[in-house]
Amino acid sequence: MRKANYCFFSLLFLSTVFLSAQEETKKEREPGHYSQSRFKQLYEEFATPNMFRTASGAPGPAYYQQQADYKMDIELDDKNAKIAGVETITYTNNSPDELGFLWLQLDQNTRTKDSKALIRDASEVSEAEQPEGFLKKYVDGPFDGGFHIEYVNDANGKPLPHTVNWTMMRIDLPQPLKSKEQISFSVKWWYNIPDHTINRARSGYEYFPKDGNRAYVIAQFFPRMAVYSDVEGWQNHQFWGNGEFALPFGNYEVNITVPADHILDGTGELQNRKEVFSKEMMARYEQAKKSYDKPVIIVTQAEVEVLEKGFSDKKKTWKLKAENVRDFAFATSRKFIWDMQAVKLGNRDVMAVSMYPKEGNPLWEDYSTKVVASTLKSYSSHTFDYPYHKAISVHAKNQGMEYPMICWNYGRPNEDGTYSDRVKFGMFSVIIHEVGHNFFPMIVNSDERQWGWMDEGLDTFMQYLAEQEFGETYPEAISPETKYPSRRGDPSKIVPYMGGDQSTIAPIMENPESVFQLGPNAYGKPATALNILRETVMGRELFDHAFKTYANRWKFKHPTPEDFFRTMEDASAVDLDWFWRGWFYTTDYVDIGVKGVKKYYVTDKPTKKMKEYLAARNLTEADIPAQIYLAEEGSEGVDPNLKGKLPSEVSKTLKEYMMDNLTATERAAVKEPKYFYEVTFDKPGGLPMPLIVEYAYADGSKENITYPAEIWRKSDADFKRVIASQKELIGIVVDPKAETADIDITNNSWPKKEEKSDFDNFKEQIKGK
Amino acid sequence: MRILKKSFLILVLPLVAFAAAHKFYISVTNITYSEKVKALQITTRIFIDDFDKLLEERYGITAQLATEQESDRASDYIEKYVRAKFTVRINGKDAQFRFLGKKYDNDLLICYLEVPKVVFSDIKSIEIQNELLMDIFEEQQNIVHFKLNDQRKSFILVRENNKGVLNL
Repeated sequence: MRKANYCFFSLLFLSTVFLSAQEETKKEREPGHYSQSRFKQLYEEFATPNMFRTASGAPGPAYYQQQADYKMDIELDDKNAKIAGVETITYTNNSPDELGFLWLQLDQNTRTKDSKALIRDASEVSEAEQPEGFLKKYVDGPFDGGFHIEYVNDANGKPLPHTVNWTMMRIDLPQPLKSKEQISFSVKWWYNIPDHTINRARSGYEYFPKDGNRAYVIAQFFPRMAVYSDVEGWQNHQFWGNGEFALPFGNYEVNITVPADHILDGTGELQNRKEVFSKEMMARYEQAKKSYDKPVIIVTQAEVEVLEKGFSDKKKTWKLKAENVRDFAFATSRKFIWDMQAVKLGNRDVMAVSMYPKEGNPLWEDYSTKVVASTLKSYSSHTFDYPYHKAISVHAKNQGMEYPMICWNYGRPNEDGTYSDRVKFGMFSVIIHEVGHNFFPMIVNSDERQWGWMDEGLDTFMQYLAEQEFGETYPEAISPETKYPSRRGDPSKIVPYMGGDQSTIAPIMENPESVFQLGPNAYGKPATALNILRETVMGRELFDHAFKTYANRWKFKHPTPEDFFRTMEDASAVDLDWFWRGWFYTTDYVDIGVKGVKKYYVTDKPTKKMKEYLAARNLTEADIPAQIYLAEEGSEGVDPNLKGKLPSEVSKTLKEYMMDNLTATERAAVKEPKYFYEVTFDKPGGLPMPLIVEYAYADGSKENITYPAEIWRKSDADFKRVIASQKELIGIVVDPKAETADIDITNNSWPKKEEKSDFDNFKEQIKGK
Repeated sequence: MRILKKSFLILVLPLVAFAAAHKFYISVTNITYSEKVKALQITTRIFIDDFDKLLEERYGITAQLATEQESDRASDYIEKYVRAKFTVRINGKDAQFRFLGKKYDNDLLICYLEVPKVVFSDIKSIEIQNELLMDIFEEQQNIVHFKLNDQRKSFILVRENNKGVLNL
């Protein structure tokens, strides 16, 4: 009896594999393998933690970063569209290493006539071309851009040997720069400014043929120190065009000389406001500093319309000073209308600022500064209070580019001032995105040249939150929409990309120069992944705390992907290695469905299958302890009348057990399930995800259960659950609110929803024709 | 098993990507099985301008597809051409298909073909030979997606390799 008992229980445990085991005996012996678990921890992918960067994702005790301070005198030649400057860089070596040479970035050299960037990409003849494109492709010569370096001198004015390797310049030091030492040197340079509306440059000018003026948005305009770090050594990967920047923090004192009738603003605090502002501008500025609800116009459209006819030969120098920024940029033109308002962040006031040519009105006057203010508030609440004193949004045609405290944004109305919703929302979104970049990567200073997603993805995720919050704060600005129409962030929006042709998809963890579709790869997918983490995997509370922890740990520092991944786990106690592995290191997609449902009832006697199994082992029912039997609906020998009956009515064994072990009161309180279901879910997609299920019952009630992603850890292909219910189950929907970016929803329902195919519709249409 | 599964990826080509990839000369064919009517149902999406060019060069007719001036003969020639360049074989034998018709969707021509009287459990293999437009565009790629019940498989067919076989 004991033996039989043992035997029976082992059978119970094995019962799920009871049929398939027979088939498997014929198989060849399989070779062993490394772990194929999608839940394997990321030890092999992650860098080993060390004294610079800890396993918790925080900066370690030996963490260091270099400092580069700049003093610059810049002069703009508006007539010839040239810019020239002299900079003195003071570089502090905080690393433990001795440096024999320094690397500077010469981004403008990506626009030299012989630039390798011009011939890197494959080209094919297209059989039709627009005339403009035809001329650009086959007729026009390349733009004569790139830095002209006049000298590189040491602090005593003695030339320093230097070598230019395309977009990088190496300065060889006479003596190595020891740890904790400082060196100063000067570089004199000039270059021709490109028309950014023609060649999609990130900076340059737009020419306005009607009045003959240019509006300049100037950035990446001076030789800048490359980053030297514990992770990359010198980050001297060339600037091909997509991988943006890796820059050290430093302090800037910049004097910019421009025509006297220009209006200029840039990174940093204006040091000589009284010299460059008129009395009226000063008065308006004082007013703006106290205006928290709407912008005050500092330079009006009427004033600009006079200015843009002037073309003054006189010059004016604007002096700006910025502390702890990673870069410097400015915008200048006779055409800039200028408005500002104050924003309260904690106990500090920050100025939200906009500059735009009249061609941007009325759209820009109505909305730009409002959007800047709302963005600063949203981002600050999710990360840290914006630490700089202002954020400027400059209107530049077709642009969307970010620098510390200043960014260029598109959104141009028609000539008559009308604009479509598409233009309006495009402008809101780009301003939110670019102002948002102040947080990632200007302050949380990741390496954009290597990891495009670390700033674009995080920023696009934050942009989604800020857009939704903007819509809630200014319902009239988004009317007639009631919810801000975000282009990215919502899970359903990433489905066409993730479900697309695998040969043109790269993982997120890929250099931005090597991905196929930078938009969905570095912006859309990571933003959606984080949104799904927040809403579905971790929940808002855990996510928000962890995300904030990351932002605060790494503000004014240089984080790596591991620092982000580790901090999100460190601050939440949620194991996310499976999520990072699947979403960031692979091109797998989500496809989870419900495969089938088996219905069972309690019976009073063993099923045929059970009997056969016992017989095969020379056992009878009497040899094993009393059981409660479950039989599949419709299987042989099962009385269909048992459906919907209480188990204790059907099974004497259960009835007796309850009589023996429960008091009458306890028995009365027992809620016996009448219906038993074995539901099989399957996962054709590679990504493990939480399984979100809506069960619908015959009485009209619904029940939602979210099974954690860990259900997939032992079987990657399918997952079975038994539902014991007092109510009859009539329907199952997987991911009913489309939260997981499931690429194929035809397998998400039981019973299968009869959806008419395009083919059936066509057949119906042609009937009778 | 893992490796086998991986090759059954669904390559859904969204229309946006389709348009952007136009200069590569692509058509997309979807093949499904309808249990209801016991038939293989096939849709083929081809760029209208590519097909216009084909009809002009091959048959000398100015079809002007999807315009008010569309030639009366266009439909007949489209069917004639599809029958010449598109073959379905089930279990190694040529299967006859009905050319149900065509419709336009923006810049795409969609042809609807149906192979009637097919019992799913009898299918051991389906072979698609798709040489559409390869006679005029050297670099034409014809993408074929099979999606039959749980089976999914995709092929990119080119001149040198113009057949795809799904074994069930």
